[in-house]
Amino acid sequence: MADNALELRNIDMHYGYVRALDGIDIAVRQGEVLGLLGDNGAGKSTLLKVMSGAHQPTSGEIRVHGAEKTFGSPADATHSGIQMVYQDLALVDAQDIATNLNLGREILRRGPLGWLGFVDHKAQRRRSTAELEKLGVRTAAVTRPVEMLSGGQRQVVALARGATRVNGEQSGILLLDEPTAALGYEQTQQVQSLIRRLADQGVACVLVTHNLPLAMSVCDRIAVLNRGRKVADIPVAETENDHLVGWITGARASMFATASEAS
Amino acid sequence: MTVTIAAPQAVSAEKDKDPALIRWLIFIRDRGIFVLWAVLLIAFSIWASPYFASLDNGILIANAAALTAIFAAGIAVGIICGALDLSIPGTAALAGCTCGWLITHGTPTGLAILVALVLGGFVGLINGLISLRGFNPIIVTIGTLSVMSGAAAGIAGGYTISGLDSLVFMGTDRFAGLPAPVWITAALFALLTVFLTRTRDGIRLMAVGGNPEAVRRSGIHADRYKVLGFVISGFCAALGGLVTTALVTEANPAANVSIIFNALTAVALAGVSLAGGRGSLPRVLVGALILGTISNALTIKGVSPYWATATTGLLLLGSLALEKWVSTSVSRRLVQSASASVHTGTR
Repeated sequence: MADNALELRNIDMHYGYVRALDGIDIAVRQGEVLGLLGDNGAGKSTLLKVMSGAHQPTSGEIRVHGAEKTFGSPADATHSGIQMVYQDLALVDAQDIATNLNLGREILRRGPLGWLGFVDHKAQRRRSTAELEKLGVRTAAVTRPVEMLSGGQRQVVALARGATRVNGEQSGILLLDEPTAALGYEQTQQVQSLIRRLADQGVACVLVTHNLPLAMSVCDRIAVLNRGRKVADIPVAETENDHLVGWITGARASMFATASEAS
Repeated sequence: MTVTIAAPQAVSAEKDKDPALIRWLIFIRDRGIFVLWAVLLIAFSIWASPYFASLDNGILIANAAALTAIFAAGIAVGIICGALDLSIPGTAALAGCTCGWLITHGTPTGLAILVALVLGGFVGLINGLISLRGFNPIIVTIGTLSVMSGAAAGIAGGYTISGLDSLVFMGTDRFAGLPAPVWITAALFALLTVFLTRTRDGIRLMAVGGNPEAVRRSGIHADRYKVLGFVISGFCAALGGLVTTALVTEANPAANVSIIFNALTAVALAGVSLAGGRGSLPRVLVGALILGTISNALTIKGVSPYWATATTGLLLLGSLALEKWVSTSVSRRLVQSASASVHTGTR
């Protein structure tokens, strides 16, 4: 399809003799949330790392907006508009929310002070407040140090840091690794609505999770991996919990059974 | 599939303020040391009246604290950036001896000072580059401490270099009534404070100390800022060495390791976490001033200086307890307010 934001074709990945990924074809469109499910060791995280440039696939091609890319490092992926939100949030605890959100893209003051590298804190806070409002999240005052936030608020800040670096207008792609693993019910709801809003703003999201109800409620489409193969790729509306569990455990036959396997 | 929580338009109505109690606790944590110093000053003014509370005695305290403060600045920047720099006494001795050797061999004083300061930064650069190779910075800087003090002794030929009278302008001379070391300390702290809190590089340096991975993922070369921390630390060490030399107009090649412990006490009193990433230089300055204030007041009252050391130690332990209490209170309050917000809808 032409409007695929990120497309992986026939991705193979070997660790020595171990075949972690076996001929994976997967794509996510702009404004779509793709859920990536699978048991431990099914290859979800490996696939996400291939997308984020942390791993290089043994073979296969990666296309971003139709153009073929080779990611030598996460920085290359970032350059192509792909942002990853890691499970360990990697926030600077002692600094406030605004500083965390602006790290690496600071606003300097105008005039001679700017030439000396002086940061315009007020403008940064204004921008962060505006960005958080646009995302529709309310964490705490942007001047609050991250160490004084609850787990859910930190997760939201980490998500927002990724989200403010991609956006719908620039056709951004956001990769999320277990964003709700450490969260309670209420905070999971908040993160869930944030992901949904990002997608509505045009960001393509790939969500790796173990949380089936979350995947069912937030994703548009779900792909299931089993032992390095894609066994299902289906819109959420056309599937149900039991089917997904069957694909994850391997009890249910693959949607893409090849001729050799069928015989 | 769709989720209807927290409509975006409800967000802007929220006021961006933390609860009053939390702000108060944050104030105690961030500004508590200033309150402590004020309390000490008032208590000593009454206890050691009338000798303590005079302008001259104030200048005396500031002058006595200046040297500790300069070295503490170096230690603090190193720790904030994520590494305890133990080579500071060696760098100080090397800077003093280099400057002394250059002056006695006919180099203009200004140039000799400049060379010594650059040398201090260079030592920091070496420390940083070695540490980046994955070695523990504490061991690396212990190694460079020995190398530097050996080199200082080599330059000085094993003896002190005396007769450095051209350095008195940064030692015992007074400008506008204040001794030179006080001016130097004030300038150094003003510069570093502005750097760490107002400039892009300073903020990134603090962030690297807090979480290098966060900085790396933001597309910044975290390693450069690690090295920068060492360079600043080395510069402060060289400056401290020069002031030490200027105060006695002699360059002593023996590295005085006890300055590390004085400086570390001031830094720890200021609540600079050894884990890195946090701390503020004005607080470090006050930490050094508190040390000076206590020993000054006890000296005035004729109390043995041993007790000054003991008091300082107790104060340090007390400040640790206070910090622990404040941070647990804050997190407890925050958990309460976070769970309250779920039901009141102020998310």
